[in-house]
Amino acid sequence: MSEGVAPVRAEEPLFELPEELAIDTDIARRVIAEFIRGQLRQAGFERAVLGLSGGIDSSLVAYLTAEAIGPERLLCVLMPYRTSSPASRADAEEVVRRLGCRSTLVDITPMVDGYFGRPAEGDRPAVIGALGPAGLEASPLRRGNYAARTRMAVLYDHSVTFGGLVVGTGNKTETLIGYTTIFGDNACAFNPIGDLYKSQVRQLAAAVGVPEQIIRKAPSADLWPGQTDEGEAGFSYPVIDRLLYWMIDRRRSRDELVAMGFERSMVERVERMVAASEFKRQVPPIAKLGPRTAGVDYLYPRRRPGSARM
Amino acid sequence: MTPTTLRIALAQIAPRLGQLEANLDRHLELLEAARAQGAGLVVFPELGLTGYLLQDLAAEVALRLDDPRLGRLVAATGDLSAVVSFVEESADHRIFIAAALVEDGRIVHVHRKCYLPTYGLFDERRFFAAGDAIRAVPSGLGVGVGLAICEDFWHLAVPALLALDGAQLLINVSSSPGRDLAASHEVGLGTAASWRTLMRTYAQLTTSFVVYCNRVGVDESISFWGGSEVIAPSGTPVFSAPFYDEGLYGVEIDLADVRRERIALPLLRDERPELVVRELERIIAERAGLAVDATGEVGPEGVDLHAGLGPFGGVRAAARVEGRGR
Repeated sequence: MSEGVAPVRAEEPLFELPEELAIDTDIARRVIAEFIRGQLRQAGFERAVLGLSGGIDSSLVAYLTAEAIGPERLLCVLMPYRTSSPASRADAEEVVRRLGCRSTLVDITPMVDGYFGRPAEGDRPAVIGALGPAGLEASPLRRGNYAARTRMAVLYDHSVTFGGLVVGTGNKTETLIGYTTIFGDNACAFNPIGDLYKSQVRQLAAAVGVPEQIIRKAPSADLWPGQTDEGEAGFSYPVIDRLLYWMIDRRRSRDELVAMGFERSMVERVERMVAASEFKRQVPPIAKLGPRTAGVDYLYPRRRPGSARM
Repeated sequence: MTPTTLRIALAQIAPRLGQLEANLDRHLELLEAARAQGAGLVVFPELGLTGYLLQDLAAEVALRLDDPRLGRLVAATGDLSAVVSFVEESADHRIFIAAALVEDGRIVHVHRKCYLPTYGLFDERRFFAAGDAIRAVPSGLGVGVGLAICEDFWHLAVPALLALDGAQLLINVSSSPGRDLAASHEVGLGTAASWRTLMRTYAQLTTSFVVYCNRVGVDESISFWGGSEVIAPSGTPVFSAPFYDEGLYGVEIDLADVRRERIALPLLRDERPELVVRELERIIAERAGLAVDATGEVGPEGVDLHAGLGPFGGVRAAARVEGRGR
């Protein structure tokens, strides 16, 4: 464990790590550092930009990116909304302080409220947004998705001004079950942790020295106050991580999973989530009309001679 | 130094994807460095001249064997023996993954990758033709050399054929993507653990030196793990390069170890190629439906067709044979 992480009390482990998910963190750090450097080099970039929420995923990616290219080449963009947890912002600021990387703050409240409007509070009357009065009735899901896509737009704008590629921060668990906003938080130039389950993210976060309170707190999309991933989805990360590992990585059938001790109803529900979100993990299909079609029979590496920025 | 001592330089490099000229320069630079180290043999990894994940770029970086760019590299080897790997285009415009043994300023042998993985993260058969020959060749090193490329070594017959054909030095050049980082693996990387098992086994069973040169670096999503090795004919590793570190690694071996091991453990002497061929011919005939399969699984036609047949009751087999004449 790195310095800066308080000793773990025996009765309260920092995180729960299913045995089969334990990875060699030294190798993971090495591969990820090479991956980040390789992606930037091939694209002709030396800098990186990421959205730092103060949660474990983006904090880990900030640490890994700073380790790979140096903190001076990393810009962390903090993008709180008016209902975002102040504790998250404090955690994000602590990561920036510890890493010594660059950071900037963009409050997305006027952007999001400018679209949906803002309901009346106390003496303050309601403000009508671009959607008109109906915008005030928008569901939390719509507001959450819009906020995620607003952050994406802010990040890609900073990609230009800072001259850095946008680094993705989504993990394997949320990607597989579709707990992401398409073209929102899943938008990036490359993703260093998208093949790590949440439990493995925690293991790696501890190894690289992400502050303990960030590892310990309940993961949340923070789309509305008090929201937690596990509360919303109804399962704990160690359990769903194990289930996904055996289902996806180890190709176990539904009956085999049940025989291993997973609840059938949970297996079926997770199978549905994975299948229903397939579209979020793939490039949109193009209707095949011409002799050679991108993604079908025109197949090149994303980065090849001539594709690096001059 | 005894005359049987050979210094091998393993060029564990990170080729630039699709950048033939840059990779060629890197090869020339390392050839000189190997020469300065006193190496007799320098080995470069699979597709060291082009990078691995080429897809449709493969045809654009393909080289004919008389290509002047390859010629520059071949000429530069001078008195060194070298194994280099590239995309080869044949006269009839098939595209192969190839490795060449270069000696005395000429290409003495070209091995075309015979087994093209097209599963999991691999898609080689889509972009490449498969080689049709597995040959050991004599070399200026004083021993027979057998070349294989990556997946070729995931098929038992390849190291066995090379050793039977006279190789005492089995050289595998690879672009092996590292994956499965489970902490439970012996070396923290599933791919490396599997490869190490294979190479030690082949060295022991063929009583030959196994030389493994794997690349490092990143193509798109995949990272190559390096870990190049030299294994003695006893199955004991002589040298293991670090994972993921680019470098030119020198290893000294005593080729006389092959004789010592083969006298003490005459496995190759006791090989039965005629027995293997006889059984293979039977198996091939059975799999083609030209003979009744007494030992294997029931064929796609199902069990019923066999009912009532005697032990050689070749009703079905005979019908097939006749059918071929129509």
